[in-house]
Amino acid sequence: MEFDKNSTIKLAKLARLSVNDNQLNSLEKDLKSILKFIDQLKEINTEDIDPTSNSLDQKLILRDDIAENTLSNEDLLKNVPESELGFFVVPKVIE
Amino acid sequence: MDDWQTVIGIEIHAQVNSKSKLFSSSSTDFGSAPNTQVSLVDAAMPGMLPVINKFCIEQAIKSGLGLNAKINNKSIFDRKNYFYQDLPQGYQISQFKDPIVGEGSVEIEIEGITKTIGIERLHLEQDAGKSLHDQDPNLTFVDLNRSGIALMEIVSKPDMSSSDEAIAYVRKVRSILRYLDTCDGNMEQGSLRADVNVSVRKKGEELGTRCEIKNLNSFKHIGAAINFEVDRQIKIIERGEQVKQETRLYEVVSNKTRSMRSKEDAHDYRYFPDPDLLPLQLEQDWIEKIKKSLPELPDEKKLRFINFYKISGYDAEVLTSDRRISEFFEEVAKNRSSKLSVSWVASELFAVLNKLNLNIENSPVSSSQLGELIDEIENGTISNRAAKEVFEEMCNSEKSVKDIIDDKGLVQISDTSEIEIFINKVLEDNPENVEKYKNGKTKLLGFFIGEVMKATKGKANPGLLNQIVKKKLDN
Repeated sequence: MEFDKNSTIKLAKLARLSVNDNQLNSLEKDLKSILKFIDQLKEINTEDIDPTSNSLDQKLILRDDIAENTLSNEDLLKNVPESELGFFVVPKVIE
Repeated sequence: MDDWQTVIGIEIHAQVNSKSKLFSSSSTDFGSAPNTQVSLVDAAMPGMLPVINKFCIEQAIKSGLGLNAKINNKSIFDRKNYFYQDLPQGYQISQFKDPIVGEGSVEIEIEGITKTIGIERLHLEQDAGKSLHDQDPNLTFVDLNRSGIALMEIVSKPDMSSSDEAIAYVRKVRSILRYLDTCDGNMEQGSLRADVNVSVRKKGEELGTRCEIKNLNSFKHIGAAINFEVDRQIKIIERGEQVKQETRLYEVVSNKTRSMRSKEDAHDYRYFPDPDLLPLQLEQDWIEKIKKSLPELPDEKKLRFINFYKISGYDAEVLTSDRRISEFFEEVAKNRSSKLSVSWVASELFAVLNKLNLNIENSPVSSSQLGELIDEIENGTISNRAAKEVFEEMCNSEKSVKDIIDDKGLVQISDTSEIEIFINKVLEDNPENVEKYKNGKTKLLGFFIGEVMKATKGKANPGLLNQIVKKKLDN
């Protein structure tokens, strides 16, 4: 699929970013150049190679199941624009 | 209506009963003050990294084995990207292409007929936070305590064809998870909830367009939502219109489903492997070790109950659908009459639990107390009828079975000579009836027994009484 202005608008919408026309144009340009670079990588033949989800040759580190609350409600809400009764408060969202 | 077929597939979200979250150490306790179990990881502060909980992996493997499923030695965590206020990361860590558990199956039974329901997969993912929309007309309140708790998403194949089958399936999966102790199955608290995919088609035709009904948290709602949805879809098609693929919400008050969002402007989740997490590699030894630790599961236990205790399939089903109930029953039935044990657990005790709205875990009568009561019936100290009186008292007091029997003077008269005294008196007082009996009106036996029972205030041992009266009259 060709990447165009509509793709940029869609991405902005999915990320809930408000983007004006000027920004759209420059974003489209940037994203296109990134995708062009990716296309270049695609030229490599990877037919016999297993897909890699991570390039580190390490094992996932597992944690024991020990519960510990490390952050107070006051500290958690310190930087939020709005809070009440210990909750984060945001504009009404109803689906 | 008859030529319509319903096709149902179900996604169950089951919270792992771990102490801490899937990728952080925050506590998973239910009902705490809002936002008091949220770490920097859960709040998605910049630079925070997820570290996976070993116990949650083990519980997923255990659940997979309990669902007769294939455990994948390598699985991968992906980011499912979407923007919502209860998801601070902006993505949910889930498993997309390579889940920890692959295909399996469970068996359900409806009116004696067994049906196999396929399991597509089970994967681990993070739960989201909770939004409260009813605190303020213009604002939404967000609590992140639930955010990041481990969920097992169990996806069925579209193998169910009625609301009854759907309910039986969810019941069975819940029962298995509770046996395994991997999820507490508490639907009221949301530890286990179901998304139901429903479509209808005319017999022999291709699959219809499906709708997904989200977040059903009781068996009753699952049934009602499916029945409403099937009806709705059939009406649409019979009107010559088309069912729209969409996500719907079941509303309890109106008993209807309504559109939530249509798949047209569907979320584009842009899954990709989470670069913060390496692939999860499972050693076969670990899987084997877990396999060996599995408890006896409901299907197996039901069979054993039928064979060992010689009880009906129905009773065995009732007693094994819940692990705690089955354990309670086995404690009661040990070295005792299984017939008496079934009737006291499944009839008397269940009636009390239902009435008081209690679970077996907080039963007012313990298994050993109920066992003592049955002992007193078995050794003839009290009659079955007196036992009911004792049982009622046991539910309301801490007194021992023996004390209650003594206090109420319920000890059965099992002394032959003592019973004979009462019998002789009754026979003397009713010479006419004795005469009639001797002349062939043997139905009067019940009358004499009744009179003696009255005289002894119901305490005469009924077996003995019957025997002696008969002997005296027939002589």
